[in-house]
Amino acid sequence: MKKQKQKMSIAQKKEAIWSYFFVAPTIIGLVVLNIYPIFNTIYQSFFKTGDFGRGNIFIGIDNYTKLLGNAEIWQAFWNTIKYAIIEVPFGIAIALVLAVFLNKKLAGTSVFRTIFFLPMVCAPAAVAMVWKWLYNTQFGLLNNIFGTKIEWISNPKITWISIGIIGVWSIIGYNMVLFISGLQEIPGDYYEAARIDGASEIRQFFDITIPLLSPTTFFIVQTRIIGALTVFDLMFMVMDKTNAALGKVQSVVYLFYQYSFTNGDKGTGAALVVILLVFIMVITVILQTAEKKLVYHN
Amino acid sequence: MKLKKITALMLASAMALSLTACGGSSDSNSGSDTPAEVDLNAEYTVDELTVNIWDNNQLDGLQQIADKWTETSGVKVKINVVTWDNYWTLLEAGAQGGEMPDVFWMHSNTAQMYMENDILLNLDPYIEADDTIDLNNYYEGIVDLYTRSDNGVHYAIPKDHDTIALLYNKALFDKYEVAYPDDTWTWEDVYEAAAKISEAGKADGVYGYACNVSNNQDGWYNIVYDYGGQIITDDHKGTTIGSEEGKAGMEMVRKLLSVGAPQTVVAETGTDSLFQSGLAAMITQGSWMINSFYTAEHSADYAWAMIPYADVNGNGACDEGERYSAYNGLGWAANAGTKDPNAAYSLISYFCSAEGQEMQSELGVTMAGMIGKSDAFANAFEGMDVSAFIRAEEEGDLFFRPYTRKTTVWEDALQQAGGFLDAWQNPDDPAVMSQACDNAQKIIDDAIAAE
Repeated sequence: MKKQKQKMSIAQKKEAIWSYFFVAPTIIGLVVLNIYPIFNTIYQSFFKTGDFGRGNIFIGIDNYTKLLGNAEIWQAFWNTIKYAIIEVPFGIAIALVLAVFLNKKLAGTSVFRTIFFLPMVCAPAAVAMVWKWLYNTQFGLLNNIFGTKIEWISNPKITWISIGIIGVWSIIGYNMVLFISGLQEIPGDYYEAARIDGASEIRQFFDITIPLLSPTTFFIVQTRIIGALTVFDLMFMVMDKTNAALGKVQSVVYLFYQYSFTNGDKGTGAALVVILLVFIMVITVILQTAEKKLVYHN
Repeated sequence: MKLKKITALMLASAMALSLTACGGSSDSNSGSDTPAEVDLNAEYTVDELTVNIWDNNQLDGLQQIADKWTETSGVKVKINVVTWDNYWTLLEAGAQGGEMPDVFWMHSNTAQMYMENDILLNLDPYIEADDTIDLNNYYEGIVDLYTRSDNGVHYAIPKDHDTIALLYNKALFDKYEVAYPDDTWTWEDVYEAAAKISEAGKADGVYGYACNVSNNQDGWYNIVYDYGGQIITDDHKGTTIGSEEGKAGMEMVRKLLSVGAPQTVVAETGTDSLFQSGLAAMITQGSWMINSFYTAEHSADYAWAMIPYADVNGNGACDEGERYSAYNGLGWAANAGTKDPNAAYSLISYFCSAEGQEMQSELGVTMAGMIGKSDAFANAFEGMDVSAFIRAEEEGDLFFRPYTRKTTVWEDALQQAGGFLDAWQNPDDPAVMSQACDNAQKIIDDAIAAE
């Protein structure tokens, strides 16, 4: 079937103009707050920046070569990936199981939904402060309950897991809400038919729920990977600067903050986030390619 | 699908990069062209001034002084407290974006950078027209700090000065039967007492002494100076931390750490919290922190002794150059782009006037920036003797808090792995500390070279 190009009627033109008018607030916000800073950051990454953004000196790719030869950067990338490895799969798996349970018609589901969503409503800084005290070796609730002396957040070997747990805890509510909305879009007929054919609940979960939920799952995977790779506030709030384990958990964005704001070296900081940007782009491309194979479309 | 991919990439980049959104450059507010003629009696054009500080302990006292100023000026003063770490991030972003508080504190870490870029209001024309302010009445080191070296312009008036003392918990000394610290104590005495308390208090989790690698001005810097080392030399162009003297000082620090709270403990809980929880018997602290201990639950158990000295020549007495306390002074500065510079200066002038400085001491906010106005401070805390801070200045020597143009760069690096953190983690190994001193020498030299 061939589609013919048709000229727009006056009414259609009017409608088109109005549509631009309605998306304008978002577009303007995006340009001012996101698009412009992207190019400004790329621009800054080629400079040795002066104080207060004055007197920048062009130095080509020096910032990049300096960064790529710095072991600290590679460690930070590895730390960030390790964090993502905990947060993304566990945050999704737990949220999915919760969503399936809370999608059933049981007494008190709305209470539980609210409880699981609560961490999402709290300020991340407050969440981190509370966890910091839960984890405290001397006075922490965790060590007190279990009667242990585990250095949750100062033993470099386990700190990345402790931080990951906070990440999972804070995100399951959000993932769960997305999953519930995805679940509600699956027609009930499928389950009914499966029940008549004698499929067990577990069989239904794996053969109906998971495939039909895959578009939602994919969306969450993609946004959470990006979210996890840009994590900052958890490490910043939980880890003291003098904590010996900091080097093993500081994320790329944490280092960016350190370079740009603590040390006042905006150029190096900019170069670092550009590297992170390229890294995230590569991952996004890989995910988009994988989408066709993994996601089940009706 | 192509479009969708591009959109996805764009969104991904947007998420990653919106972090830097607060960057950008603006060359708007230039403070160099201040009017030559200043009329201090001109009517104020604003209803409210915003003031930023980083110390919550001083909020009440300063607000009282500011309210007194409001009585005559009719301009309200709103004081915001921003934590130390975020204070500078906010101020710098504000300086770039043109959204700064009207009046705020300046500190030795960053004063140079702010003065050189005309971010601060040039106070000279105002000081000249003002009879109540004479810069000769203030501590010289602090006045110098806020004077730009190439043109002699003053950008801030000294607000206060501070010194360091030894804080101890009498209850713990009683419990483990160790004599209280006094003014004759050397660092070796601290070491011996700390060793005894840590040994006896093992079962209770009590440590004799606690010092984090971040307790520099209020901690290990002082010991380095006692032994003849200098974190930053007098010309602000180098360091002697890697010299024999510097290493001797840090060796003493290492000994103290070997009988004190381990690094993993202080990194999580902080020396102040440990002390207030009754788990550390001795810490060193600055005079700006008194209020926090004075108002603590067990404050009746706390007492201050003069900061210990190092008996370098071994004659059993404290000679000149053997007892050092760091001192530092904040300055009240104003935003060059403030709407009403006259009102902003008037507030600064009141804070720094003899009356404001005396009030500051009486209320126990801090010691004064004006010489001779600090005596009331010793009596400001009923039931707690804080004269150790003033005696340190009369009987010992003061050194100005080490600073260079970009202090935070090396100061932060010293506190982390590759700096002194390694030595803090292995306090039983003198070789690690010696190596850390060499590393520190290089960190500071490199940082100064890059400035």
